[in-house]
Amino acid sequence: MRSDRIPLVALAGQPNVGKSTVFNLLTGLSQHVGNWPGKTIERREGTFICDGRVYRLVDLPGTYSLTANSAEEVIAREFIVREKPDVVVALVDAAILERSLYLVAELVSLPAPVIVGLNMMDVAHQEGLEIDVQKLEAALGVRVVPMSAAHNVGVRELVEAVDQAVRGEYLYAPRRPAIRADHAEVLAEIERLVSPWTPSPYPPHWVALKLLEGDEEITRLMQAHLPAEQWETVHKILKAHEDALVAVASGRYEWIRQVIRAAVSRPRRGQISLTERLDRWAAHPFWGLVILAGILGLAFWLTYTVGLPLVDLLDAHILQPLAGLSRAGLEPISPWLAGLVADGLIGGGGFMLTFLPILVIFFAIMGILEDVGYMARAAYVMDGLMHPMGLHGKSFLPLFLGFGCNVPAVLGTRVIESRRARLLTALLAPLIPCTARMTVVAFLTPIFFGAAATWVSWGVVLLSLVVLAASGMVISRVFLRGERAAFIMELPLYHIPNPRTIGLFVWQRTAEFLRKAVTVILPVSLLVWALSVLPGGTMENSYLAWLGYRLEPLGRLMGLDWRLVVALLSSFIAKENAIATLGVVMGTGEDAGLARLLAQAYPPATGLAFLAVQVLFIPCVATVAALRQEVGWRWTLFNLGFQLTVAVVVGAAVYWLARLGGL
Amino acid sequence: MLERLIDLLRTGRSYRIADLARELDTTPALIEAMLERLEQMGYLRQICGDAGGWACRRGCAACVPAGVCVAGSGRAWVLTEKGMGDRQ
Repeated sequence: MRSDRIPLVALAGQPNVGKSTVFNLLTGLSQHVGNWPGKTIERREGTFICDGRVYRLVDLPGTYSLTANSAEEVIAREFIVREKPDVVVALVDAAILERSLYLVAELVSLPAPVIVGLNMMDVAHQEGLEIDVQKLEAALGVRVVPMSAAHNVGVRELVEAVDQAVRGEYLYAPRRPAIRADHAEVLAEIERLVSPWTPSPYPPHWVALKLLEGDEEITRLMQAHLPAEQWETVHKILKAHEDALVAVASGRYEWIRQVIRAAVSRPRRGQISLTERLDRWAAHPFWGLVILAGILGLAFWLTYTVGLPLVDLLDAHILQPLAGLSRAGLEPISPWLAGLVADGLIGGGGFMLTFLPILVIFFAIMGILEDVGYMARAAYVMDGLMHPMGLHGKSFLPLFLGFGCNVPAVLGTRVIESRRARLLTALLAPLIPCTARMTVVAFLTPIFFGAAATWVSWGVVLLSLVVLAASGMVISRVFLRGERAAFIMELPLYHIPNPRTIGLFVWQRTAEFLRKAVTVILPVSLLVWALSVLPGGTMENSYLAWLGYRLEPLGRLMGLDWRLVVALLSSFIAKENAIATLGVVMGTGEDAGLARLLAQAYPPATGLAFLAVQVLFIPCVATVAALRQEVGWRWTLFNLGFQLTVAVVVGAAVYWLARLGGL
Repeated sequence: MLERLIDLLRTGRSYRIADLARELDTTPALIEAMLERLEQMGYLRQICGDAGGWACRRGCAACVPAGVCVAGSGRAWVLTEKGMGDRQ
């Protein structure tokens, strides 16, 4: 210490590490607050007394490192370099040492002696971390003082350590981070070149390190101080080692790893070990998929066993009496109005509303799975499944979104940087069975297959995934060879679901559905109704039938009559319209519900083919709009043609195989 | 350390943070800190989670009975072009 001045202590640390608490405890009332010169960043300085000696304490801005990334970091390092504090106290968070130590790794490369204040020991202890302070000191080569500043524990010991250092009783021998051998040579070379020109008080070694890191401030400084020729040489070396930033940071992380390994132990317990045990199965490449398939099956089963009786109840006790009443009431006034209300409004749109129980249950199951933390595992194991298809990381993510809705799936392809991969993922996205398509599956399956509905629904999902996988495989083999991108996931800890969160989840999605029912499904079902009675007033001579009969030959390939073809066409506006349209064209509300009418009119083979075509058929208009926006008209038309072909081919195959199988 | 992490990510496989921690013989917390540093350096992009989840925010806001967020409450990253590029 220089005897001509009051000893100067700098307090460094990341934000929220408890610097203010320590600063206030030490300085009490003898502090003043201002700004750092030329900056709007607060500067706090004060004094404290130990053993009769007065110390100046400066609170440096909170930073995670000492690069030139922010004004705070520049202030902190300039202060240490220029003001040469007698001691730098580096306050670190014991509970998150891995994050706190990066700053220490930088501080020990500067000339001022460092003392580590290991704050928040109480929190670390609560979290089950065991930190061996002596081993930490040995690994760092730096004095470490354990503290809990919030409880005024360890502050006195910290002051004593500072006092000892100032009295010259601190043998400071830090272990500094190393960098890779080849870069170490480059570093030495740069240091040799800049050393004679480095302005005081910058340490040449540190300047060389910062140049190698590509630090803009130091680069500007040295460019101004070095003769042009000398700078040219240095600049060439730096240009050839642009990756050195990674190498330097890498050395610091290796240093942190060794320190943590030496001094911190983390006995596994409670939530963490439960999560690890569950993930051994849930995130396993094979069993994880089995569990996912099981959960999917269970979700269908629950939805059907709990939801369908409710749907029947609503249909029989509310919808049908309502349709009958309105027909009886309105018929004398106007047969048209009676048809509009009973068939168009209630038969089509209203019918969708009886469907709410199914959706609420489905959303609740999804909400629970998400809140428990399972959805992240589902995403992770599905990603494993996508690998053989050549669809890695980035392609997978938007596709997964597609299970909710194809629109964000197509828009989500923007996360993919490679143009070709983006295009192909966008083309595959509409093959994912979205919730709207699943709604149709959920409704129709039990009608045709009764008790086997769970298996059939599961099979339809599987079928669409197989088609997706086959398309993906062809595309990736032909167009996407060698495109690989890693995908890193943080899997949250499993926890007990929160009823409020799930309630909110269900409410938001149900409200979305209702909004769609009123704004899209209802108008379309009214339009379908209008087309089904115009111009002559009977269904058989209507525009709708005319259109249906024109397309029926194609439908016949898949066992579909004109009514089913028309239902498919209307699903272009919104997938749920398939059911609403069937409600209109089958004419419900008289003596039997739509379910019974459908079961009477069509054999299971037709039902199965319709389900298969329905999940593969051209996407809804919103998805087409998204596709056009992302990939342009040409590729959108290609996609429509592609999906139409796939739907017809698969639909026909399913129908004829089912017929052969006796359905 | 960071170099080994980048090398692992460039194999194109998908990883959980716990897998990376095991591969590099360290703690998940240090892996997280390194992933965040790589994100800051432009090698990684966060696509899901607290702050960066573009696809998820879009997904949940933009549509229809929108699906659940891909990673639930967790975060997810992918390599950027820079991250995939060849290191000398």
